[in-house]
Amino acid sequence: MAAASTDGGAAAATHQPYVLRETLVGHKRAVSSVKFSPDGSLLASASADKTLRVWSTADLSLCAELSGHDEGVSDVSFSADGRYLCSASDDRTIRIWDLATAAPLKTFTGHTNYAFCCSFNPQSNMIASGSFDETVRVWEVKSGKCLRVLPAHSEPVTAVDFNHDGSLIVSSSYDGLCRIWDSATGHCMKTLIDDESPPVSFVKFSPNGKFVLAATLDSTLRLWNFSAGKFLKTYTGHINSKFCIPAAFSVTNGKYIVSGSEDNCVYLWELQTRKIVQKLKGHTDTVIAVSCHPSENVVASGALGKDKTVKIWIQEDEDQKEAE
Amino acid sequence: MNVPIIDPLQGDFPEVIEEYLQHGNMKCIAFNRRGTLLAAGCADGSCVIWDFETRGVAKELRDKDCIAPITSVCWSKYGHHMLASATDKSLTLWNVVTGEKIARVTLQQTTLHARLHPGSCTPSVCLACPLSSAPILVDLNTGSSTVLPVSVSDAGNGTTAPHPRNKFSDGSPPFTPTAATFNRYGDLIYVGNSKGEILIVDSKNIRVHAIIPISGGSVVKDIVFSRNGQYLLTNSNDRVIRVYENLVPRKGAAKELEAMRSLDDEFQGIEKLKVVGSKCLVLFREFQDAVTKIQWKAPCFSGDGEWVIGASASKGEHKLYIWDRAGYLVKILEGPKEALIDLAWHPVRPLVVSVSVAGLVYIWAKDYTENWSAFAPDFKELEENEEYVEREDEFDLMPESEKAKELDINQDEEVDIVTIEKDSAFSDSEASQEELCFLPAIPLPDIPEQQDKCFGSSSKLEDSNHSGSPFSIEAAQNGQAMLPTSSPLEVVGNSTAEEVMGTTGLKRKRRPSAKGLELQAEKGRKPLTKIKPSAKLSKSKNKHGDGLDTNGFVFEDDVTDEYL
Repeated sequence: MAAASTDGGAAAATHQPYVLRETLVGHKRAVSSVKFSPDGSLLASASADKTLRVWSTADLSLCAELSGHDEGVSDVSFSADGRYLCSASDDRTIRIWDLATAAPLKTFTGHTNYAFCCSFNPQSNMIASGSFDETVRVWEVKSGKCLRVLPAHSEPVTAVDFNHDGSLIVSSSYDGLCRIWDSATGHCMKTLIDDESPPVSFVKFSPNGKFVLAATLDSTLRLWNFSAGKFLKTYTGHINSKFCIPAAFSVTNGKYIVSGSEDNCVYLWELQTRKIVQKLKGHTDTVIAVSCHPSENVVASGALGKDKTVKIWIQEDEDQKEAE
Repeated sequence: MNVPIIDPLQGDFPEVIEEYLQHGNMKCIAFNRRGTLLAAGCADGSCVIWDFETRGVAKELRDKDCIAPITSVCWSKYGHHMLASATDKSLTLWNVVTGEKIARVTLQQTTLHARLHPGSCTPSVCLACPLSSAPILVDLNTGSSTVLPVSVSDAGNGTTAPHPRNKFSDGSPPFTPTAATFNRYGDLIYVGNSKGEILIVDSKNIRVHAIIPISGGSVVKDIVFSRNGQYLLTNSNDRVIRVYENLVPRKGAAKELEAMRSLDDEFQGIEKLKVVGSKCLVLFREFQDAVTKIQWKAPCFSGDGEWVIGASASKGEHKLYIWDRAGYLVKILEGPKEALIDLAWHPVRPLVVSVSVAGLVYIWAKDYTENWSAFAPDFKELEENEEYVEREDEFDLMPESEKAKELDINQDEEVDIVTIEKDSAFSDSEASQEELCFLPAIPLPDIPEQQDKCFGSSSKLEDSNHSGSPFSIEAAQNGQAMLPTSSPLEVVGNSTAEEVMGTTGLKRKRRPSAKGLELQAEKGRKPLTKIKPSAKLSKSKNKHGDGLDTNGFVFEDDVTDEYL
């Protein structure tokens, strides 16, 4: 993998392969989303079995099981201080859970169809949620009031994300568009559109908020520079034509893009060279969720109904390898 | 290359009232440095901190000792502390994060304006401008105060007969108000005195470094710096707002002035101070309304210093006048018929917040016209008709130009996804991680199945009028449910009859029935849509002891009973 660019060459040559550390069993139906907490100590997983499970990353034991939703849960998100979780469910509500007491705290009603995705803003005083009712709603955490209803798309909204300072919201939809909104006023700032418009299944800001990573149902991931409205990088090789599979940035040890795939593997691409550096095999069904630990080289993945597990992958150290 | 698509300094001015905030009877306001939090001092002695992004109450600062109406609020530089001055002659320093009182000092007189030293993160020194005597520097830890000099020639504080022009129009003897402000780093204090002079005083050794006389020599009522410290404005009794350019360098200003003094040996005493003064401030512009000769209230600069705003509260009106720095009056904004008592411009956004005598805070913002090309980027908005000339091969079956179009994106270029660009709106390079931008939002728990309780039930929310329990939703929204441990009675910031300004019709108070409460609660909510100034909102009465304070704003001439 001798890549041309300097950063890429070094990283590709020395990419430590990830290996499976643990498989977390417990969900009774398909896992829909996994997220690490901002400090990395907890891992939350959401499932079609209407529950959320919170695991400790240190010993990978179950910390809490949160139930209360009436239908399956599609997405979960941590608040910035890691004290609260918000979850989006097919019962059309978004719920906030207090992790200290493992109890539900608030329910936000308002969506008229399945709530599909949710995200806290970095200040954690607002939550953005996208739904099958084609709108994005912004909720105030403290009172539960719906601050705004953005007429975002003309098809179900598949993902919402805030940028690093909370000033922008990006939303994606099956209508093939990614839209960027000013979170303070709710005005549309930009629409990202390509010539063919395959349904966009996932979108997320880069850590510095300058780029947007969009996954489309033609098995492609694109990194867009949204101010210019042009995409800079394309990542292919995986299979993604049916499900909304999120992708993540892995920046703890070299820069990678991590995504699940419908061929039951987790794919890792090098950010600059766009080459696939590893395929993590082990799941027995579509890998529908991935998340990267904020500070350690740990990746968590969750898979659909035939598998129902969450797998934790780590990079082995040189020392560990030698010791074995 | 990546130009941020939201310009942080949007360089424009507001045009309409977007929203109003209601919580108790607010008297004075102040933004924190970044404009993310708005502090408001209330008539019952408490201070409310609004989360400006969500327009909800983030915190209430309340103490059993502080019950007198607040006259001014001021944030510390990084937003951890707040100073509130009240009519019971006290100054209270609060810790914003914990909500506790740090210090309380009682002075000889009520302070009209109190300012914390802007130079330090945990300031203990503040500048207090009392109603009718010289400004004082107060040390909040020890309670000691130092009186600042207001004039150089005489020994006292203006005990000589006041200039006839400085009397009020009804002949009553004037106060000798003096306005004062710190400069950007707090090493100098600019004092505007009743003889129409600006004195530059060193804040450490209290020596007068310079005097700048203002033409006309009338009493200076307000003196305000722009956010970057480059411009200074004075509001005088002769109804003129004067803008000066500050020639002194921002950092190390005191040292510069010391140096200037020791240089000039030609002049002595007052003359020397005036010479130094002429090198510090230069008159830039004067603003006045030649026709109606308005006495300006609460003038200030916009965040970027491009605009100057002054308010008129004469005859109970609520008018904002906006000038650009070149001196042209660009806009007059007219608000509801409640006199304006305080004003603040947002540090970065083109937003203005004004407080009316009814205790409401109005937010003025730009009238937004939808940018349709943001929704459909392949369309271009035209201002007027354009003749379209088609290409030679436009209607060919296989046009040449389309064949030639190919993706020429160089996908091998390096992309940086982690470096965060610095925010250009804020120039301070000091550690801004310490800065308090947001108060942690703790979700108020839903109480299941209990619709009649006061606290926190917000489970059935739509974004417009609710049909669910108005009591609880109202309480939750207005932040009444802030302190779960205290009873509704304590939480409500009701003003007593004396405090309610006689200009409005809020004279009758009576206990409405339960049905009336429900209806009132529904009507008195803060709306989420834009309100034009002429919009009539429903009137509600001031209630005591019912746990709900829903002061809608009242038209003077319109006292009708809208319910029951």
